[in-house]
Amino acid sequence: MTAGAAAPSATGSDAAAELSELYRSGRLPTEFPRLRALLAELPDTELHRAGRLLERVGPDAVRAAHPDVPVVPITVSGYGTVAPLVPLLTVELARHGLLLDPRLGDFGGYLDALAAPDDSSLLLTLLDAQVVFDQVPTPWRPEDVAHTFTAKIDLIEGLLARSTTPVVLNTIPLPRIFPAQLIDHRSRALLGAVWREANARLLRLSQDHPTVVVVDLDPWAATGLAVRDARLSVYAKAHLTPPLLHAYAREVAHLARARAGAARKVLALDLDETVWGGVVGEVGPLAVEVADSHRGEAFREFQRVVRQLGSQGVLVAAVSKNDPEPVREALRAHPGMTLREDDFVRVVANWRPKHENLRTLAEDLNLGLDSVVFVDDSPFEQGLVRRELPEVAVVAVDDEPADHVGRLLADGWFDTVTLTAEDRQRPGLYRAEVERRDFLHSFDSLRDYLAELKVRVDLAVADETDVPRVSQLTLRTNQFNLTTRRLAPADVLALLRHPAATVLTVRCADRFGDIGLVGAVVLRHDDDVLHVDNFVLSCRAFSRGVETATLAEILRHARGSSASAVTAEYLPSRRNAKVADFYPRNGFTRLDATHFRHDLTDMPRPPEHVQLTGSWPPGGTP
Amino acid sequence: MSTLRSVHDFVTLVRDELGLPIEESDLDRHLDDVAGWDSVHLLALCSALERATGRSISLPAVLTADSLGGIYATAVDR
Repeated sequence: MTAGAAAPSATGSDAAAELSELYRSGRLPTEFPRLRALLAELPDTELHRAGRLLERVGPDAVRAAHPDVPVVPITVSGYGTVAPLVPLLTVELARHGLLLDPRLGDFGGYLDALAAPDDSSLLLTLLDAQVVFDQVPTPWRPEDVAHTFTAKIDLIEGLLARSTTPVVLNTIPLPRIFPAQLIDHRSRALLGAVWREANARLLRLSQDHPTVVVVDLDPWAATGLAVRDARLSVYAKAHLTPPLLHAYAREVAHLARARAGAARKVLALDLDETVWGGVVGEVGPLAVEVADSHRGEAFREFQRVVRQLGSQGVLVAAVSKNDPEPVREALRAHPGMTLREDDFVRVVANWRPKHENLRTLAEDLNLGLDSVVFVDDSPFEQGLVRRELPEVAVVAVDDEPADHVGRLLADGWFDTVTLTAEDRQRPGLYRAEVERRDFLHSFDSLRDYLAELKVRVDLAVADETDVPRVSQLTLRTNQFNLTTRRLAPADVLALLRHPAATVLTVRCADRFGDIGLVGAVVLRHDDDVLHVDNFVLSCRAFSRGVETATLAEILRHARGSSASAVTAEYLPSRRNAKVADFYPRNGFTRLDATHFRHDLTDMPRPPEHVQLTGSWPPGGTP
Repeated sequence: MSTLRSVHDFVTLVRDELGLPIEESDLDRHLDDVAGWDSVHLLALCSALERATGRSISLPAVLTADSLGGIYATAVDR
């Protein structure tokens, strides 16, 4: 394995053969949606090949067969030969069901690409050590390297300052042939220092430029991936090795997935031999291995990593074939246990098939199955879930618990560009959500439930502190997203400053607690017509009247400010069908397939169970 | 042990690894005249050949070859 991904499996060679057959028979384009499952079975060496075949098929053929497939336009630029990156990006995106539309920059033309970026695509600027060492004099000293590297970064930063295009840069691992040319340790140390300072400066660019992401290649090099292949570098000007490029492509694919609003959110864990050593039903809840033994230490390390992910908003759940009592007892009473019941949004212990439990879990959390990452040590369960639920990412661990952490982290399944305060609170919010649902079951009707729920909605005009969360809502929300217009933080900021635009934030709370900033509405004033440019609402706030109350308030405000009408738009996407009728259901007249209008005569009543508060309109009471 | 024992094996390898539907008759064509050929294939083909033969191949020789037959000769000759 090169990038340390999927464990090779007995079914890997079947999948490779099937892929070849699909290619030979010309069926790869039509079978594109099924590829995700096939690719999940392949070891990395086979992924290279699969990428070449897919690249040959090309995006047009796939799009012709599947017009709805999500396409990711990426411009690949760099200092050296970047073409070998294209098949790797192709296959890594296909693992997520995404189709690469590649544009290849000119050889060595990374600065040109940065200077005149194509705004419609993600720009990769692949940097390697030759960027610097091709420009230093011979012989060179560490000071020359510092000077050249600094000048390059100055140039890059200058170009970034003028651009709003999303750009991916990378740190440049230092191949040993360079420090080894310096025979004194003092100079060698100085070279190491100036090199790392320059890399640190590259990394910091992402702090100052919201559209820049820097992929850190040093930790990949530290896993043992070779940085430089002398022959490829000298003869083909391909200065980074295919395995390192593969790791890079994998990170970029996860980034593209997050940007497409499809980051994974749920980590569903098997328990026996995955979270702890031993079978709890056999050895007893207090005797599973979680600490203080060789294997126990391995499981403890895994549990710590799970908790670390949970602290950043990943929803951790347990899905175990066991009786519930011993599982609960182990989590509550085992003195060495790191993960406790509170670390899980849900603990499912029963004897139903795991794919059924995973399906129920996703429903309970109001998330799609494509949000779920499932970890299990049993090849049977891994295979079952892969077959029954191809949307779920399956992480295969085995009987060596020391490898569990590496397997879980080999793919950045939960990668996201930035984390917001809401993200960190998410597990607590979802735990409350599960309680809400249990609470729901004790009511005869939804109306009683909602009345008891005491929903409060707070509307306010967004300010700069809301920018990251509002952007994230537009990026991540798929179901209740009326136009699926994705807004980067810079776009939200521009709207905030635009005189004719208003961005409203929707905060929500109920008797179980504060749910936080769950929705956003972008309004545009066009003479005396108020236009709803977009309306997004997190799935956490569905089905409790928040959207109806918000819309009713917008209409009331429009009439109060002497607007003649409110217009709105619905653009269908793959995932937002559930809101296709949102506007007509709320009194809007359909103008055409996607446009709606409310003439403000017959005003809707806001739902009685919702209490509206807030500072919108500015200075007034809503 | 090399899995590249004949021209036939080479044709199969090019088809499988690169997805190029070549025949033995394409081996003597100039690379520019091989349908679907692109110079970016060279590096992938080289590493596939090295895996198949279990030995390293002269990259300069491959990069200057002007036909698939020439690349094959480089891979099997020593």
